[in-house]
Amino acid sequence: MAELSVVLPGLSLSNPLMLASGIQGGSAAALHRVASSRCGGLVSKSIGPSPREIYPGPVCVEAMDSVILNAMGLPNPGVDAFTTMMKENNFAKPMLVSIFGPDSDTFVSIAQEMEKAGATALELNLSCPHSKPGSRALIVGQQPELIREYVRAVKDSVNIPVYAKLTPNTASVSIEAKAALEAGADGICLINTVSALEVDPFAGRPIIGNLLCGMSGPAIRPIAQRKVAEVALAMRRGEIPNAPILGMGGITTGLDVARFIMLGADAVQIGSALIYEDVDIFGKIENELIEFMEVQDYPDLNSMRGIALDSLEELN
Amino acid sequence: MTLRASPINRDDSFDLEALADSCSNRLEKELDEKGKVGSPIPLPIVDIVSESEGVKTIWIQVPSILVSNYKPGQYFMCWNPYDADGGMSRPNYNSEKPYSVGDILIDRSQIDEVIAADIGNKGRTLVGFTIKDLGKQSGELTRMKKGDWFAIRGPFGTKFPTPNAGSTLLLVSGGIGSTPMHMAAREARQKLGDKVIIHAIMGFQNENDVHYAARMEKLCDSLTITTDDGSLGIKGYPTAPLVELISNCDANNTKLFTCGPELMMKPVLEMAINSKIESYAAMERYLPCSVGACGLCMVGDRLTCKDGPVMEGDWLLQQDDFGIPNSH
Repeated sequence: MAELSVVLPGLSLSNPLMLASGIQGGSAAALHRVASSRCGGLVSKSIGPSPREIYPGPVCVEAMDSVILNAMGLPNPGVDAFTTMMKENNFAKPMLVSIFGPDSDTFVSIAQEMEKAGATALELNLSCPHSKPGSRALIVGQQPELIREYVRAVKDSVNIPVYAKLTPNTASVSIEAKAALEAGADGICLINTVSALEVDPFAGRPIIGNLLCGMSGPAIRPIAQRKVAEVALAMRRGEIPNAPILGMGGITTGLDVARFIMLGADAVQIGSALIYEDVDIFGKIENELIEFMEVQDYPDLNSMRGIALDSLEELN
Repeated sequence: MTLRASPINRDDSFDLEALADSCSNRLEKELDEKGKVGSPIPLPIVDIVSESEGVKTIWIQVPSILVSNYKPGQYFMCWNPYDADGGMSRPNYNSEKPYSVGDILIDRSQIDEVIAADIGNKGRTLVGFTIKDLGKQSGELTRMKKGDWFAIRGPFGTKFPTPNAGSTLLLVSGGIGSTPMHMAAREARQKLGDKVIIHAIMGFQNENDVHYAARMEKLCDSLTITTDDGSLGIKGYPTAPLVELISNCDANNTKLFTCGPELMMKPVLEMAINSKIESYAAMERYLPCSVGACGLCMVGDRLTCKDGPVMEGDWLLQQDDFGIPNSH
């Protein structure tokens, strides 16, 4: 049978299918629920310095086929409650702990608390498109100098691996990936949601409570593939340091996983698919991936990793 | 800032009926193959009726396919894109919350059906959401006016099972839990006619709180009202009259449905289990997203939004976080 295990900095995964941040993973009950599926690993909800309420609704809607719009507002129990929960629970799967904060000092203190509580790897959420209510301001992930500052500050203060989660909402994501990797990031996660807006013509106003929102779902899958390819090609060409890539954006099937692996992703994260179906979708995706790999004679993930990049190498 | 799209800017000659027809047609086009909409569709409120103190029913016009797909227990996410004053200035007042359908009016004058209980409304189908002023958003909804926008998406969630012919249905509600119990009674009566026995107990805080009693009286073989202060019906909680109802029915051929505060539902479900009666509860939890994304509505290892709101009584009674004082 095709070998699916993946070893990444701080994460030893039985398969490359991880939960994506922001879906369910904010409480012990929810994380246990996902861990009981056939996912390879978990990613927590992004945890900030203090408890945060969800934004006024609607917070998450299916705007049309394959398009999910959300502005949750990073609801989370806060670092104190989350680290207490981590110490009281053993999850059946490895967990990448996602964190966010308003400045690099806050990132550092949360990162240190998470390391003390037993986190084996961190994902820095540098890219939530709507972390401030209704804000149009540039986010950290759109400013390479700030990415550098935040990643370096966290790397200097903890010993566990640090992944940088990047936004697709920039001109060239390899610039942001370069900043994160040169500052010491151990891996790159991309993409976060695509910044979006949807007006209801009868109501004459946006349909999301926060007005502005982020788009996910199968419709962003081609955008995500292009961003992953851009970073992977830059690594292959030696333009930026080499590091693992966690790819995500609209993955709902085993074939979708193969697309990302073939563009150089080491593992993937799955979020919106859990809106369409239940957590057992991880098992379904794993079965589809195994079936595909067997019929195509790929013995393991390495044998298909990056093969689609060959066709892109000629691009300038 | 004046919001030019606000319904408050319509003049007196505005044709609300034409708008309601147009929005209902739009909703019909947006329904997927499961008869569901994933994105909020604003519909103008065609009527808003007082049921009791702080309790109002908001009526909207919908395509008939929406109600033929709806099953008692399921809910819609309901949202007011503008507040009662026509503005958007108080974002917390504009949030989106889950409500189950309370009543349906279908014009059956053109339909040859044996049970034609509903009254006509010029060939249209109306859905009523009965809402109690319990907080910012529900309070704002009770202050809405005819013509204001009321957006729905759904229906979401699990449903009550349909009772079998020749069986007995026990319905126990507390407060605004009345609405799914009414829809369960309505469906059972429409499907099974006199081949089902329906006994209902409705608990309220006091007589000013009593609503839906006339609707239930029409549908049920018996209706018992309880009030906490004894101002109407039996003084106390619904559990007291439930003892006698349970003792008089055949446990193998009876189902119990309940909806209300968890502190009420827990002893109700315990009584059913002790008497070996199959039981189901419609749960209400803080439920912001409805699609399994936020993970904030969990009971045990289940999501109320997708695995609920209707859950089996015996399963609920095994959950540590069911029926405790702050679990609502």
